[in-house]
Amino acid sequence: MEQARKTDVIVTEGVTKVYEADGIPVNALNGIDLTIQSREFTALVGPSGSGKTTFLNVISGLDSPTEGKVWLAGQVLSEMSGNELSDFRRDNIGFIFQAYNLIPVLTVEENVEYIMLLAGVPKAERHERVIAMLETVGLTGVADRKPTQLSGGQQQRVAIARAMVSEPAIILADEPTANLDSKTGADLLEMMRHLNAETGMTFIFSTHDPMVMESATRLITLRDGRIDTDETR
Amino acid sequence: MVLKIAFRNTFRQKRRTILTALAMVVGFTLLSLTIGLSDGAYGNIIAMFTRNRIGHIQVHREGYLDKPSLYKTIDNVSAVGETIQSVAGVEAWTPRVYGAGLGSVGEKSTGVQIIGVDVARETEATGFDKKIVEGSTLTETPSHEAVIGKGLAKIVSATVDSEIVIVSQGADGSIANNLYKIVGIAESGDNITDRVACYLHIADAQELFVLEGRAHEIVVIVSNINRVAKVTDAIEANLNDATLDVAPWQVVAKSFYRAMRTDQQGDAMSRWVIILIVAMGVLNTVLMSVLERTREYGVLKAVGTKPGQIFWLVVCEVVIIALVSICIGALLGVLANYLFSIYGITYPQEITYGGMKFKTMYAEVNVRCLVIPAIAVMLSAVIAGLFPAVKAARIMPAKAMRTH
Repeated sequence: MEQARKTDVIVTEGVTKVYEADGIPVNALNGIDLTIQSREFTALVGPSGSGKTTFLNVISGLDSPTEGKVWLAGQVLSEMSGNELSDFRRDNIGFIFQAYNLIPVLTVEENVEYIMLLAGVPKAERHERVIAMLETVGLTGVADRKPTQLSGGQQQRVAIARAMVSEPAIILADEPTANLDSKTGADLLEMMRHLNAETGMTFIFSTHDPMVMESATRLITLRDGRIDTDETR
Repeated sequence: MVLKIAFRNTFRQKRRTILTALAMVVGFTLLSLTIGLSDGAYGNIIAMFTRNRIGHIQVHREGYLDKPSLYKTIDNVSAVGETIQSVAGVEAWTPRVYGAGLGSVGEKSTGVQIIGVDVARETEATGFDKKIVEGSTLTETPSHEAVIGKGLAKIVSATVDSEIVIVSQGADGSIANNLYKIVGIAESGDNITDRVACYLHIADAQELFVLEGRAHEIVVIVSNINRVAKVTDAIEANLNDATLDVAPWQVVAKSFYRAMRTDQQGDAMSRWVIILIVAMGVLNTVLMSVLERTREYGVLKAVGTKPGQIFWLVVCEVVIIALVSICIGALLGVLANYLFSIYGITYPQEITYGGMKFKTMYAEVNVRCLVIPAIAVMLSAVIAGLFPAVKAARIMPAKAMRTH
């Protein structure tokens, strides 16, 4: 595949990932060919060990495939250096993790503005965008708090704000509702759905949560590192 | 932001930060103290050796130091002395006449070294009167008196008021011999010298050796020992006499200086051991800290932090702890050195170094006590922090975020 279509945000070709576990090779991904277009709200589902998180890691450049190629926003990830990958992730991908993964020594505002700071956004603009984003995710008034002073739901909202504040093309979310109660999970999901519709960002989730599956516009089922089903709604 | 995260991280694990800082503070203080004690001890030895014996600078006839000879004299002693005195930084000068001879007291004879001294000047320059342990010093006018070393007195069984006959050869080739009354017994702190030394008034020595108005050596005392090299150059320039050698104490007492430098290098080894211990302590705690925060570094990389920024984050943490430790260590180091410079460390038994005896070792408070430990602690901390920093920078985000 030499040239991806303009609307193709993520393209994978024969992506394979083999781990060594206690000296035994484990095939986490077995030749995945997939194209995800912009504005999609895609859910990756499948049993534990089916390769959901590994696939998210590989398509974001957090991990490298053993074989195959990944195009992200038109660029081949395996051809990038460590620094180029860092810059690319900073400018194009927002991450939402199951365990929130906020920086504990930074305040809510500092956590959210961190990526913009890396990108060299001026201070006044950073502050303005952080406050607006915190308002969007319903966290007004907690900018000066540390993550440990927030509930799980609030921390995940901060993580969502951090992922979205620099307006990346793609949001990758690894089990974003797994640690939340169903009401908080539903609220956040609704919020992300709304942001997807409003901003046109591409969302890709790995999930076990039926609520997320129901909201998805595309549902990809992985099994043993392969695409089992691929359903567009 | 990297600096902010680094700064806050140091307060995050207070116990670990305190442990790391403690290793650095203890290391700094120990280094500072070893340098202070070493500088103090060697300073004391050098001060005793130079101030009491050889002076800080010596002037001789060309070639005298390499091959002493009765005939290699400074002929215009007073004029040379006045020129020396006019140089800034010179505190005192004193001429000496040297000669070898046979000394006899009663039935006993032995080889002696005759040292002709200008009593007033020698007393001012090297505290000659303080070396007298029995009897009195020489009178300031030539009176055929002698002060002999304690060891020599024992060899020839001489006491104060004994008479010593000295037989030698004059510069004119004549047989030199004369009788001197022993007025005092001296102890210079150098046992070898004390076994042969026979001090005469310089005029008596000049008369004995037929060296009127001449001397073999001019000893110069400077007000600041650290400026010896500059004062040496200034004296040489002012004298402007190619037939005279002007040498600092390091050249005059080459073997003593070399032995002392070797000793100091031995001290440096113990400092390296301290630096190594500090570095190991820092490496251990920083590595632990990095391993504990593997997941966090993974997240930082995932959201776009470059490997270089992660590297600096870890290095900055180490530098922050090192800076604080250096400040605390500097206070403790100065305090410890100050206390030891006043009270000193008293040895259970007197020790001898270069023929000199010491009972108490005093520390010295100087810039080296602060600068060397500061550089050593900072460098060892940063070097020890490099490995964990590289490790953190190379973390694979996906793998790192799987750790708990």
